Amino acid sequence: MATPNVYRGTGFDFSNHNRNEFLSNKGFPVPKAQSTGTTIVGCLFKGGVVLGADTRATAGPIVADKNCEKIHYLTESIRCCGAGTAADTEFTTALISSNLELHALSTGRKPHVVTAMTMLKQMLFRYQGHVGAALVLGGIDATGPHLFTIHPHGSTDKLPYVTMGSGSLAAMGVFESGWKADMERQDAVDIVCKAIEAGIFNDLGSGSNVDVCVITPEGTDMMRNYRKPNERVQKERNYKFRPGTTAWKKETIRKLVVEETVTYISGNAGTTAAEGGDAMDTS
Amino acid sequence: MQINGGSVIAMVGKNCVAIASDLRLGNQALTVATNFEKVFPVTDRIYLGMAGLATDVLTLRERFRFRVNMYTIKEEREIEPETFAHLVSSTLYERRFGPYFIEPIIAGITSPAKGSKPFIAGADLIGCLNFAKDFVVVGTASDELFGIAEGLWEPDLEPEDLFETISQTFLNAVDRDAFSGWGAIVHIITPEKVITRKLQARMD
Amino acid sequence: MECQVALTGKGYVLVAADTVAARSIVKMKHDEDKIKVLGSHLLMSYSGEPGDTVQFAEYIERNLRLHQIRYLQPLRPSPAAAWIRRQLADSLRSRSPYSVNLLVGGYDIATSEPHLYWVDYLGTLAHVPYAAQGYGSYFVLSLLDRYHNPEATLEEGIETLKRCIAEMEKRLIVGLGKFKVKIVDKDGAREIEL
Repeated sequence: MATPNVYRGTGFDFSNHNRNEFLSNKGFPVPKAQSTGTTIVGCLFKGGVVLGADTRATAGPIVADKNCEKIHYLTESIRCCGAGTAADTEFTTALISSNLELHALSTGRKPHVVTAMTMLKQMLFRYQGHVGAALVLGGIDATGPHLFTIHPHGSTDKLPYVTMGSGSLAAMGVFESGWKADMERQDAVDIVCKAIEAGIFNDLGSGSNVDVCVITPEGTDMMRNYRKPNERVQKERNYKFRPGTTAWKKETIRKLVVEETVTYISGNAGTTAAEGGDAMDTS
Repeated sequence: MQINGGSVIAMVGKNCVAIASDLRLGNQALTVATNFEKVFPVTDRIYLGMAGLATDVLTLRERFRFRVNMYTIKEEREIEPETFAHLVSSTLYERRFGPYFIEPIIAGITSPAKGSKPFIAGADLIGCLNFAKDFVVVGTASDELFGIAEGLWEPDLEPEDLFETISQTFLNAVDRDAFSGWGAIVHIITPEKVITRKLQARMD
Repeated sequence: MECQVALTGKGYVLVAADTVAARSIVKMKHDEDKIKVLGSHLLMSYSGEPGDTVQFAEYIERNLRLHQIRYLQPLRPSPAAAWIRRQLADSLRSRSPYSVNLLVGGYDIATSEPHLYWVDYLGTLAHVPYAAQGYGSYFVLSLLDRYHNPEATLEEGIETLKRCIAEMEKRLIVGLGKFKVKIVDKDGAREIEL
């Protein structure tokens, strides 16, 4: 029924469920949502945390977006990488980001990373894995740098270096062979970058560019497209069509500029355009 | 998605955008109508295209018209394309566990106050937005459209060049799809005017 | 095996439907009227799940009548079709959806134009020059592609309709018996004999 009110209740709406089940019984399955095949990683270093992600979004075998952003903002000093069902990671992090802001406003303190982690895991556990978000959460708070992974069913890990998504195995290989405790910032960025590149080149679900985000007590440095190892070369030829290539049957033009009047400011002799109006006395 | 068939594409040009859809409405293999447009004006300078289950295309057209009208009344201004994209996204995600079977595409020009910039976005059926800088495609011919658009699109096309590029991309893609075609409609949106052209296509 | 055909011509819409009420392999009735007159200038033919069809058609009929009583004028074809579509789309989201396919024909007295809508049980609505539902549509639509003329006189329209019905009689494995034909034009909706 058409609701006469735009304010609907919060939460999910299941009213299409019956119909969709009926359709899938008839042999029309629910179409596939976009997912992020994804390599996402995180790594602690001396005094901070680095997050990394690739930028490919896939829909089945098709690359749906070649440069999407998978490092989501939670607060200024807490960020979250998302893998899994793209819409779920997007909306879950946006919701928790809002709640963290409200939390900060009501407590007057900056939120802790564990607070973000708890809010995320409680939400994901509530939906029993149906909200398909696999997350890498990293940030700095009053108690120092923290790094977590959160699985779609709500379980969490706290580790010094983590990987997630379909490229997690390739990326973990890099960490296992190269990670050291208390690295310098640049070394940490380099190993994160190498881990993501391992995912980009060895995992079909991951690809395109490397996004890196460094969070330290001094501030957050979001380095979008830190590396572009798959940049497209200039096309050798341009494929413009000669005007008139496509024949059309009917054309309608809707003008958005309905009317234009130009009123010249009087004073400069001879430029007054106002017809019948007296020039303003500017003496 | 293959019950009714249909495809939509949008492309960015220089200070303009274009959006096109086919005209077929099918009932599986049977073509029922060849005048079924899948692109609708939302405001003067925003167009929404939807491919997928036809009943949901019609239902959502009504719902978005309603929600945009409410927005216009409350805010006392026209909705911006990006805001509208988020409206579409959250409307779809609300039904995360019982989705509408459509994939939307938004094409528009921002208001003059925001610089009349071109804007396109696509989303999947549960509202995951894709803000592309080049083109977005959805529908039964999306695989074909992806390939051809990737080859033919180039940056900074003037409106007339953009029309040729989007039309040729679209017509050649739907010719390789059994469920789309039977004519196409193209809208080219510029800050000054919207040009709408109907194209002839193969009828098989 | 239910079949319905409809076509528009110059100032009229013709709607034809078979008259068989069948259960399993048995014909229960040969004179079932499957075309409802919904108002002075509106017709609706229906097919689908037995029971659902009549129930839904009567629901639509009474509600459109209620609208006319409340607002002192009937809905024009386009809003009527949009409203009927909405009922099906909403029904589809309920626990027990109506399984009914429709052809809605009407004559818009305000613009003096005939309108025909194809509606299926999913709530799909299409504004078409000619339409068919059921297995017959596979034969009839190709005939109409060839012979339909939006400017045809009533005599020519009836001739085309007769061709369609003859084709269904010839090609469908089960005979559908007599077809009931109704017309809506500027003089209103009524039944005609072929």
